Amino acid sequence: MKLSNILLHETGAEMTASLRAPEFIFPTLALPCVFYAIFGVLLSRGGNAATYLLATYGVFAVMGPAIFGFGVGVATEREKGWLSLKRVAPAPAASYIGAKLITTLTFAALALVPVYLIAGFLGDVALPRAQWLTLFGTHLLAALPFSLIGLLLGFRFASGAAVAVSNIVFLGFALLGGLWIPISMFPGVMQTIAQAIPSFHLAEISLSVIDTNTPRNVGLHVGVILAMTAVLALLAAAAWRRQP
Amino acid sequence: MNHPTIPAIAARALHKSFKDTHALRDVSVSIEQGQICALLGKNGAGKTTFIKTALGLVTADRGDVQVLGEPAGSLAARRELGVMLQDVDLPDLLSAREHLTLFSSYYARPADVEAVIQMADLEGFADQRYKTLSGGQKRRVQFSVALIGQPKILFLDEPTTGLDGDARRTVWDNVRRLADGGTTVILTTHYLEEADALADRIVVLSDGRIIADDSASNIRNQVGGTLIRCETALDQSTLTSLPGVKTIETSGRLTTLLTDDGNAALGALLQRDPTLGDLTVRKPSLEEAFSELTQGAQH
Repeated sequence: MKLSNILLHETGAEMTASLRAPEFIFPTLALPCVFYAIFGVLLSRGGNAATYLLATYGVFAVMGPAIFGFGVGVATEREKGWLSLKRVAPAPAASYIGAKLITTLTFAALALVPVYLIAGFLGDVALPRAQWLTLFGTHLLAALPFSLIGLLLGFRFASGAAVAVSNIVFLGFALLGGLWIPISMFPGVMQTIAQAIPSFHLAEISLSVIDTNTPRNVGLHVGVILAMTAVLALLAAAAWRRQP
Repeated sequence: MNHPTIPAIAARALHKSFKDTHALRDVSVSIEQGQICALLGKNGAGKTTFIKTALGLVTADRGDVQVLGEPAGSLAARRELGVMLQDVDLPDLLSAREHLTLFSSYYARPADVEAVIQMADLEGFADQRYKTLSGGQKRRVQFSVALIGQPKILFLDEPTTGLDGDARRTVWDNVRRLADGGTTVILTTHYLEEADALADRIVVLSDGRIIADDSASNIRNQVGGTLIRCETALDQSTLTSLPGVKTIETSGRLTTLLTDDGNAALGALLQRDPTLGDLTVRKPSLEEAFSELTQGAQH
């Protein structure tokens, strides 16, 4: 009943269940690298497109496990009453959330690796070792705000609706945040909208890692993301306490 | 906190309203350690709200509940509980054995997973994914999860709904054995024979209030009287005038009288109706007592 032991068991159970759900595994792991291979490498018009898109597709890759793992997972477990039984059991909320977070980060890493491999071997992306690592770390951390968004969706929606809403949020964040197409190619109105979307700021932070020539206000983007994450965390904590 | 004189559950003046319905009104009850206590009541009587309050899932508007002297919902209280709730499903993609292993990590002195699999009769499907199990098998897995922590208090909300006769008896045997070993069991049930067969004590809730709290036999006696069932030629008004008659029900050719004075009513009946046939005389069942009690409380 030590917390570390509970967390270990909880994470094992969460990973096992996730691995047994092909409808979760396939889109979250395959979509990012397939999309990146097609749009970032095969169809890219040379120059540094493959490098630019690696930064943004990395954010895309971690969004899937975070938004779907938390959003659909929590909605289902809440709806089935499983979460009530957990709250009655002598297991702290930290182990439930912690296990989900570790699982999300693991799947986020698994989604990132093939994207990076495609970038390096097929896309001829060449970066100093430190930049590869910093980029990977940035992408992994990007899973945190998306996990909180997933958690909030899971509390707000029933499981059926959560699948639909998670998809809309996932695709909306990808498109409007400029993860597929650079934001500079969008009309002005959409560039304004992007300011309110976490994926935009995370993409800008990631881009600043690989491209130090273009001036970017990294401090501002980091500040916005930290503020968004803090607000999301407070909302998630309130939603947890408000459970019926 | 394990002192035997501390009540397993002590509820004081609990009130809880949801919008415009009063789910609990001034509910005070103390359940001793080692008892099997059945909560009876119709749907909406407040049974599940009471249990959820004792578990800390629902916060009462007024009053408080303690579990072995600890506040309901606190970690210390939850460590002593094993719980089987209604309308709760476990994650689909894990097996019973995986669920039990996970839950056993929550407790300081968990039972052996294999032993619980045997006890709850899960052999044969312990390694199948929960999703693939039948309704009755799922209930048994949920029951086993309630047992894995070797809890001092077991909450069973409708434990045998959806179970066939054999599976129900397995649950009953387990409940009795655990109670013999000192576990306190609090159960709700729709099956009055279940309460009658298992419970040391029956608490009847109606409309959020406790309307009876006693042993099964005392509750039967509290309603009291004698049921006389027969085929009779006498009309309604004559039957009403017989000694002590409280209610008369007719179904088909049989008439059932509930009377406070069985001997006198029977004598009068035999005397006035020489054609009387198909006569049975017995004490009301718990079910009949229960229906009498809850109807009385609503008027």
